Amino acid sequence: MPEPEDTPAAPSSAPRRSFLRVLFSAQESGLVIVIALMMLALTLFGGTKLVTERQSIPEGSSVIVYDTEGSAHQPGSLPQRLLDRIVVTTPDGQELTYSNAWRYDEPNGAPALFTDVQKNKFFEKHNLVQIARDASFFAVMAVGMTAVIILAGIDLSVGSIYALSAIVGAIAMNSLGPDANGILAVLVGVAVCTGIGALCGLANGAMTVGLRVHPFVITLGMMAALRGLTIIIPQKIYGEQSITGFPESFTSGFFKLDIAGVYPVPPIIMLVVALIGWFVLSRTVFGRRVFAIGGNETAARYAGIPVGRVKILVYTIMGALAGLSACMYIGYYGSAETGAGMAYELQVIAAAVIGGASLMGGRGSALGAVLGAIVIKLIDNAMIIFEIDQSWNQVVMGSAIIVAVVVDQAKRRISGS
Amino acid sequence: MSDSAGDPAPERSDRVLLSASGVSKRFGITQALDDVSVDFFRGEVHALMGENGAGKSTLGKVISGLHRQDSGQITIDGRTLRPGSIDDAFNAGVRIVHQELAQCPNLSVAENLCLHDFPRTPWRTVDRAAMRRRAARLVHRIEPLIDVNAELGALSPGHRQICQIAASLDEEAKPGAHTARVIVFDEPTSSLSISETNRLLKIIRQLASDGLTIIYVSHRMSEIFACCDRVSVLRDGKFVATSVVKDITEADLVEQMIGRRLGAAPAKQQSPGGEASALRELADGHERERPTHTKPLLEVRSLSSPGKLQDVSLKVHPGEILGIGGLVGSGRSELLDAIFAIDPRAAGQVLIDSVPNPRTNPTDLIKAGVGYVPEDRRLQGLFFDLSIAENIVVPYMRSLAGPAGVRDLKQERALVQSRLDEFRVKAASPSSLPNELSGGNQQKLLISRWMHKESRVLLLDEPTRGIDIGAKTEIYRLINHAAQRGDAILLVSSEMPELLALSDRILVMGEGHVRGELSGADMTQSNILTLATQETAPALA
Repeated sequence: MPEPEDTPAAPSSAPRRSFLRVLFSAQESGLVIVIALMMLALTLFGGTKLVTERQSIPEGSSVIVYDTEGSAHQPGSLPQRLLDRIVVTTPDGQELTYSNAWRYDEPNGAPALFTDVQKNKFFEKHNLVQIARDASFFAVMAVGMTAVIILAGIDLSVGSIYALSAIVGAIAMNSLGPDANGILAVLVGVAVCTGIGALCGLANGAMTVGLRVHPFVITLGMMAALRGLTIIIPQKIYGEQSITGFPESFTSGFFKLDIAGVYPVPPIIMLVVALIGWFVLSRTVFGRRVFAIGGNETAARYAGIPVGRVKILVYTIMGALAGLSACMYIGYYGSAETGAGMAYELQVIAAAVIGGASLMGGRGSALGAVLGAIVIKLIDNAMIIFEIDQSWNQVVMGSAIIVAVVVDQAKRRISGS
Repeated sequence: MSDSAGDPAPERSDRVLLSASGVSKRFGITQALDDVSVDFFRGEVHALMGENGAGKSTLGKVISGLHRQDSGQITIDGRTLRPGSIDDAFNAGVRIVHQELAQCPNLSVAENLCLHDFPRTPWRTVDRAAMRRRAARLVHRIEPLIDVNAELGALSPGHRQICQIAASLDEEAKPGAHTARVIVFDEPTSSLSISETNRLLKIIRQLASDGLTIIYVSHRMSEIFACCDRVSVLRDGKFVATSVVKDITEADLVEQMIGRRLGAAPAKQQSPGGEASALRELADGHERERPTHTKPLLEVRSLSSPGKLQDVSLKVHPGEILGIGGLVGSGRSELLDAIFAIDPRAAGQVLIDSVPNPRTNPTDLIKAGVGYVPEDRRLQGLFFDLSIAENIVVPYMRSLAGPAGVRDLKQERALVQSRLDEFRVKAASPSSLPNELSGGNQQKLLISRWMHKESRVLLLDEPTRGIDIGAKTEIYRLINHAAQRGDAILLVSSEMPELLALSDRILVMGEGHVRGELSGADMTQSNILTLATQETAPALA
């Protein structure tokens, strides 16, 4: 093929690709569109459900109910069908009027007003909060898994590392007692969980590199071995399968902090990890070395990249992130169980792959992994909203992974890169 | 064909079994075969000779249908073979024994020999006894010592080759196929020991006396003289001559291969018209200043690696280009790998500027100013998932980076831009991918990674492989420029004119050893070739 090889110097100051083009050509933008479409579909077709809302009445208020003819009654004495409006006078003299959609009740002696409202099943605060929370637990791990997959590796032991970190972290929290200082509890919890995770990851990486065994084998072995430890340890110490009794400050004081009915800490951690992951992978030497090794390990050696060291570090980070995720889990639920994180490796790998990571190595993105995790949780959520038998969950999930990869490859072939 | 005896013409055509006529084949910009015609007789061992890239292997592959020729035809016994059809060649009785031919090292010898058609029992399971019998019948005809139950991968290279030959002789290989009449051996001895080579040559003679035509592709003189009847020489894809081996001398053959009389003016002092000096013109315009021999910048002391290198020592001075000549597989690339600490089993000393290098990993050498452009840019050189900019900057990212390894994008961009400008790499933008570049520009990209102000030692392995003359010239200019700046350069090249044009001295390697050093007027193509093909002669008992 004759090439116009040596026409004068390169047009080195070529125009930079326009911002919009970069935005649209990015792997992540496709996922954002998919997520947006899924959310739209779930909102439109998910239907509504009846929700009872509660309005508490401040102590010391007087409540008067009026019937359709305007006469006043004591609350509770008037049948609902005759009710016209409810007037609540607070102790500071404020007068609040409620329509006849509300009813008065005193469950457990606490007077309150109730009303039934139709709410969108999907696009509703509690549902969205739940999706964000569920996604965060393994999106954090998916960021680490993305790095491992970019390296052309795999880590099957994440679920077991997660469980072991949770158990050891729970032991630490339990021994601190329920009244421990908040900052101390959170610091110790995070340090213990990520530390244990990092150690397990270090073992994965060191064995993969040192023994020159494929990571599939090493991490498969670790998956079983670590799972065994999570069963043995709590039995030896507590004689039980689950550990509770954490400092309040660790659970509701931090990881399950409730702000207006929203638990923002896990999703915030997810976002922070995603941003750090994006930065490390694209803006640090280490991150680019990960891509280089995954793309062409031989060339990486010839370019003087310390291949073994980078690999070990990636597996260590993967372990640490599994530990962090475990810490979020015990902090949120206030307990750790030996069965935690069962089959998580599947979901985590799926999130990374849906997020654009190539199992051949050399490709992937941290933000994509988080979006992938959200896609998976949206699928989960759709199953609930459309009231499909939960047994179908696995079938749909598996198909989604295959479709995502096939679509991604087709896209690559078309764009010719 | 006429049966009438006494007629001189039919007698000749009777002897010819297979003939190639007017065969041409082009790979990209390389004309591998240019209108080549050769006749092969029944029952002869016919050698195809030539330098690296002369087209001898390509001709063998065209004959056996592995390559499809652009024009010309192959006829066997009067029948024209379908171009590029392995099946058609096979059915006509043409077999090839080839280094890279598919074998399954994880299966037994017997299974490998019966892969195309496993014998079955009445229950449709594999009839293992029949399989072993068939394999033994084939293999033991040549080498009774081979255990047909052994895993093929566990066999020595020689025995593996014998299994290939045995497979090619299988008359049951395919229903309807002609039994083997022509066997092409493509560099069959390159991975064999001397005793294995001797046995193979005997087998080949035996096959020829059984009436088979053997086409023997090789560049090893001694083997040609030990076992071949006739020899055809190719040069730059063109047919040169066919001679009867016992009527020709080694010197004649070398002359045919390089196209010049031995003892002619050495390349460096050749009058205009010599290819080497023409290339030098192209590369530089004027003669580079010869380095004044001071302290060597790169010194290698008795570097060895099991099975690859034997006690190699060399010195390269600042501003000097030391060429490494030798045939493919002579240990040239292995030497560079060992110097760059890629080969973990290599032992010996490497000194950069008289400072012994611990040689623990390439990173230290890169810090000491060593750069390595490996032989295969796709496999060993470039990152096809990374941008052009990152491909250049990868080895230096760490030293440019700020605290905690955060990349200094501004400095990186400046470095990349200066390299792309200086090396005239034609790219749409630094953020495009290497796949968008032509081969020549990919190679320039790789070289530009290593050539910079702080570089002091450059290891270049086939720096112009597979690129066109324009890009070559450009690369020669860059290499000369680096030498002028005082870099010590180690250059491996299979292209003789290139090696002669660029090198100040040439070290010739063979079988992992340094076979000799040439400088000044001794640097000629024939001297290099004589040293390179010299070897412990396989004596035919």
